[in-house]
Amino acid sequence: MKHLRNLLLMLILLFNLSLSANAEERLRMSTTTSTENSGLLKVLLPPFEKKYNCIVDVIAVGTGKALKIGETGDVDLVFVHARKLEDKFVADGYGVNRRDVMYNDFVIIGPADDPAAVKEALTAAEALKKIAIKQAIFVSRGDESGTHQKEKEIWQAAGIRPEGKWYQSAGQGMGEVIIMATEERAYTLADRGTFNAFKGSRTNLKILFEGEKGLFNPYGVIAVNPKKYPHVKYDLAIKFIDFVTGPEGQGIIAGYNVNSDPIFFIYGKK
Amino acid sequence: MGFVRESFGTAVGLILSLDWEVFSAVRTSVGVALWSIVYSSVLGIPAGVLIGIREFPLKRTVITLLNTLMALPTVVVGLLVYGLISRQGPLGAWGILFTPKAIIIGQTVLAVPIIANYTLSAVRGADNRIISTALTLGASRLQSAFQLTREIRFGVMAAVIAGFGRVISEVGVAMMLGGNIRGYTRTMTTAIALETSKGEFAFGLALGIILMIVALIINLLLNHLQQR
Amino acid sequence: MIPQFNLTSVRKRFGERVVLDVERLLLWSGRLYILTGPNGSGKSTLLSILAFLTKPDHGDLLFSGELVTWAADELSLLRKRVTLLHQFPYLFDGTVFGNVAYGLKVRGIRSEALRRSVDDSLELVGLNGFDERNVGQLSGGETRRVALARALVLNPDILLLDEPLANVDKESADLLERLIAFLPSNGTTVVMSTHDPHQGERLKGEVIRLLDGRVNGIGNYNDKEAQICPPMKMHAI
Repeated sequence: MKHLRNLLLMLILLFNLSLSANAEERLRMSTTTSTENSGLLKVLLPPFEKKYNCIVDVIAVGTGKALKIGETGDVDLVFVHARKLEDKFVADGYGVNRRDVMYNDFVIIGPADDPAAVKEALTAAEALKKIAIKQAIFVSRGDESGTHQKEKEIWQAAGIRPEGKWYQSAGQGMGEVIIMATEERAYTLADRGTFNAFKGSRTNLKILFEGEKGLFNPYGVIAVNPKKYPHVKYDLAIKFIDFVTGPEGQGIIAGYNVNSDPIFFIYGKK
Repeated sequence: MGFVRESFGTAVGLILSLDWEVFSAVRTSVGVALWSIVYSSVLGIPAGVLIGIREFPLKRTVITLLNTLMALPTVVVGLLVYGLISRQGPLGAWGILFTPKAIIIGQTVLAVPIIANYTLSAVRGADNRIISTALTLGASRLQSAFQLTREIRFGVMAAVIAGFGRVISEVGVAMMLGGNIRGYTRTMTTAIALETSKGEFAFGLALGIILMIVALIINLLLNHLQQR
Repeated sequence: MIPQFNLTSVRKRFGERVVLDVERLLLWSGRLYILTGPNGSGKSTLLSILAFLTKPDHGDLLFSGELVTWAADELSLLRKRVTLLHQFPYLFDGTVFGNVAYGLKVRGIRSEALRRSVDDSLELVGLNGFDERNVGQLSGGETRRVALARALVLNPDILLLDEPLANVDKESADLLERLIAFLPSNGTTVVMSTHDPHQGERLKGEVIRLLDGRVNGIGNYNDKEAQICPPMKMHAI
């Protein structure tokens, strides 16, 4: 028994997870998996953390969940790309001080041989229509994410309700969906950032349609309403919002690229 | 299958280069697992012993329930605890969601039925003269229960090892309650899940190999303790 | 003088079977009783009840004149005064010393006093120097002797022995018989069960015969009348 106790003590010392609060302040931010996977936060957060001597805890989940944990007050701010849902978030009183941060766009990707002739489409709606007519496999996010919302908008514009064996609702993140589509040589709607990260090594799908204004993917940052949740770190959240929308943050965002491809674009002058 | 071979090389590379993120994930994984095992042993071992020794109405029902709890999916446990500790929940004021503490709570819930059940098994398989021998030598009921636990310590250790195996390898609880925060609540398993979701299969498997090595070392330690 | 044990209408059932049905039985302090009877006659059950390990389904048991309520804390105290040696004793994992010391430790006895008592007890059963032996290395006879030492070291008021001499080597048997015979003169009440009908003669104890859970006869071994006593005619000695 003595040995057991000694071993336990040793392990406790080694693995003391500082269960009590740290010296620095922790700011909790929820965001989407695609934002986290783009790698932007790895370069965007450290300067902020250093400047204000804090740590930003990033909880990367699906858009729906990211907003939900903002609604429940489990995070201090929310950084997503689903404008309609963001507006509702603020309108319902959960968030305050929403600001535009950056944007990227969505692209329709698919197999290089393009069986549905998406390349010839003039609009995104037309592109999806061609896929539906051909009954070529289309993998949908199916998870109420920003990407999924955009996809639904386009189907609506095309006047089509997608259903059938060819339409696969994956219920997973962007990365998983790209992998699925790659495996099945299928089409999907992806945000350019994630696609660029996968391009080359992890997918052989190609961009077959891009550039339309409707495929715009704006990112917004919102502070969780302190009136609703007095415990949230409102001041620090505002500082973060000011940072990412200010010259330093915007500079980092504009300069961030993967494989020399820019992922995000800022508003206004660089 | 190419990624399987590639992953061994990657695993070695990560270990040798003392990759900070990997070590942080290992430290988090082992840390939360060990703490959960400590708490769940404190709860589960006495529970298993008591259920085994005492006769009480509905004993059969309790045992069946215990068996069923062993099959609790980790996501379900994650959801239940989430409901408790989220700001919306009754324990929201503690503010422990998305911290290692939350994972420890969830993993403790996971491990208690396992430890209790295996301990119960050990009790039922134990020599039925132990308790009466202790009692007739003047022990109180509590003391005789302690003596029984000592006599079946091999089985109890097996229970703890089983519990450890369950928590070190689970993803559902760690993901839901920890939030997979890099450098803070990212465990080996949530890191593997993340890498897999990004299509980084080789990297994911490399992390898996490292996790198995860590688990092996800890089990060797636990087994050594068991032999004493 | 009050009897040490006074059983009235004591019955114990296991499932459908009535294993013990004692209308009346008195046992007096400081005497040696030999419980005889075939297998299944209820000897072990009676011993277990006298050891306060088994609660009868029916009937009253008075211990030193006080009615036993079978409440947990009362039992805890009572059990410290009577020790039962199982037919096949269980030794706890570990050393001989650990086993013999167990009852003393539980009574809060420590260090020097503990060590001395244990050593004395081991000497009494002829196992000098066996302190550090692991129980797994003991022979059958040695195991019995350690169990006896473990019980004797507690100096109980009452010592109950379930078939202590069955399947034991001659040397151990002789030692055990000598000890058992000596104990009553030391004030200890001894009740031992046995298969061997001649045991009563050698040990000069008072024989209680059980048959199908009932007391079938009581008396000295040589008391021929007691031996053929019909079931319903009980005597108190």
